[in-house]
Amino acid sequence: MRIEERLYTLRYKRDEKPHLAIIEPNKCQKCAEINGVPEPCIVVCPANVYSWVDNNRIVVSYENCVECGACRIACPFDNISWKYPRYGLGVAFRYG
Amino acid sequence: MEFDVIVIGAGPAGSAAALTAAKGGAKVLLLEKGPEPGSKNVSGAMIRTEEIAKVFDTSSMPFERKVKNVDLIFMDSTGKVRISVDISSGLINVGRLKLDKWMAQQAEKAGAVLVTKTTALGVEKDGEKYKVVTDRGSISGSKVVLAEGVNALISMGMKIRPDLEPEHSVQAVKEVYNLNKDEINKRLGFKSDEEGSSWRIFGTNPVPYAGFLYTYKDAIAIGVGIPMSILVKKKISPYTVLDELKERLGINELVKGGSLREYSAKVIPEQGFPSYRACSGKIYLAGDSIGLINALTFNGIGPAVISGSIAGKAALEGYECFKYEEELMKDKEIKGVVKARPLIQELTKEENLNYYVNFLGDALHSWAYGSLSLNLDMPRLIKHLMLGMGVLKA
Repeated sequence: MRIEERLYTLRYKRDEKPHLAIIEPNKCQKCAEINGVPEPCIVVCPANVYSWVDNNRIVVSYENCVECGACRIACPFDNISWKYPRYGLGVAFRYG
Repeated sequence: MEFDVIVIGAGPAGSAAALTAAKGGAKVLLLEKGPEPGSKNVSGAMIRTEEIAKVFDTSSMPFERKVKNVDLIFMDSTGKVRISVDISSGLINVGRLKLDKWMAQQAEKAGAVLVTKTTALGVEKDGEKYKVVTDRGSISGSKVVLAEGVNALISMGMKIRPDLEPEHSVQAVKEVYNLNKDEINKRLGFKSDEEGSSWRIFGTNPVPYAGFLYTYKDAIAIGVGIPMSILVKKKISPYTVLDELKERLGINELVKGGSLREYSAKVIPEQGFPSYRACSGKIYLAGDSIGLINALTFNGIGPAVISGSIAGKAALEGYECFKYEEELMKDKEIKGVVKARPLIQELTKEENLNYYVNFLGDALHSWAYGSLSLNLDMPRLIKHLMLGMGVLKA
């Protein structure tokens, strides 16, 4: 099953302000050189939030985030600013 | 407005803390970032009733099914071994949204004020009191309980405890499939709508993992946890491991006709109290935020509730840190979590998981064919037996 089909099952209320961000884009390039592709954040993310485009930068689709927190932990450069969405926005589980 | 106790996080630890402090007469604020308690929480969804009953009135506890058997399944590259253990009572499958809401409601009934959709961002010292900063403004309180869950941003930001590392974190993903009650009963061999099951799955392909299956009234949950450092090293996504496990166990057949209702993920901490501090001043940490999960028994909700209740009492009485940490260590369940950690860390190492799954598979297969041959690695077995004895004595 494609990851998109899994994510379709979820209820999201989108926060217009991204709750995830790359702190220093240059470090991702360095990470790709050292750790190879896909980088640790891309590998551990269960929701395909991160993608490596044009072989030079990470794009963050924060709208897909299931808020597990793995990317921040996996990033070897502590280069991900990770917060919860504001005001109860973001994902809301029914079973949990 | 001012509160005696501000509890951050309305999960099992937070609601237990709020309930205990409110019952003792404190003015309690319970802050929850999600739209309702439980909506941001993910777990294996099995509880031990007697642990919950130490803090909550369980007479009206919402539950899905009562576990009648726990199946242990070991899968190596060639086959699988399955052992079924009958359970007489006490293990219950629950849905977290319903359970967490019910817990928070008990805290509210005792007088705690629940505020949802509010994310706490930090805690600042404000003279003798604390100022809790949220995305909706600040609020003052005499004591604070941090029941933030595994991503304990405030506790880590205040350096009360260290950050999580991939080497000590497990990444878990889970899927919930709905299916009508009768089909679940038929396919899993239950005699009534109340009977349920719990599977523990240990496998080595494509990477070492621990999986689980739980039964809801009208749904089946299947999930897997993989050491994060292994995922990073092997460059394998957690859902790829889940897909492999489902394929090997015939889960797609088991849930045939049903549809995927929810997909979720959670990080499971492998380290914590007492190597992490659980307290600073009059700030008390509880539950997942200090790693109180027993991976040997797949139990996190029990230790969360118990530690939360101790934190609630600590806040009520204004315990000094040493006293709070001492009270935590006195508890049987929490001591069990602490004692199990060295063994769990050994068993989640790639070479050890591979060894045991293959060892059990080979031994039982050879026995089934008519001769028992054991590939014993004595030094390894003795080391783990010694570690295990520390756990068993607890």
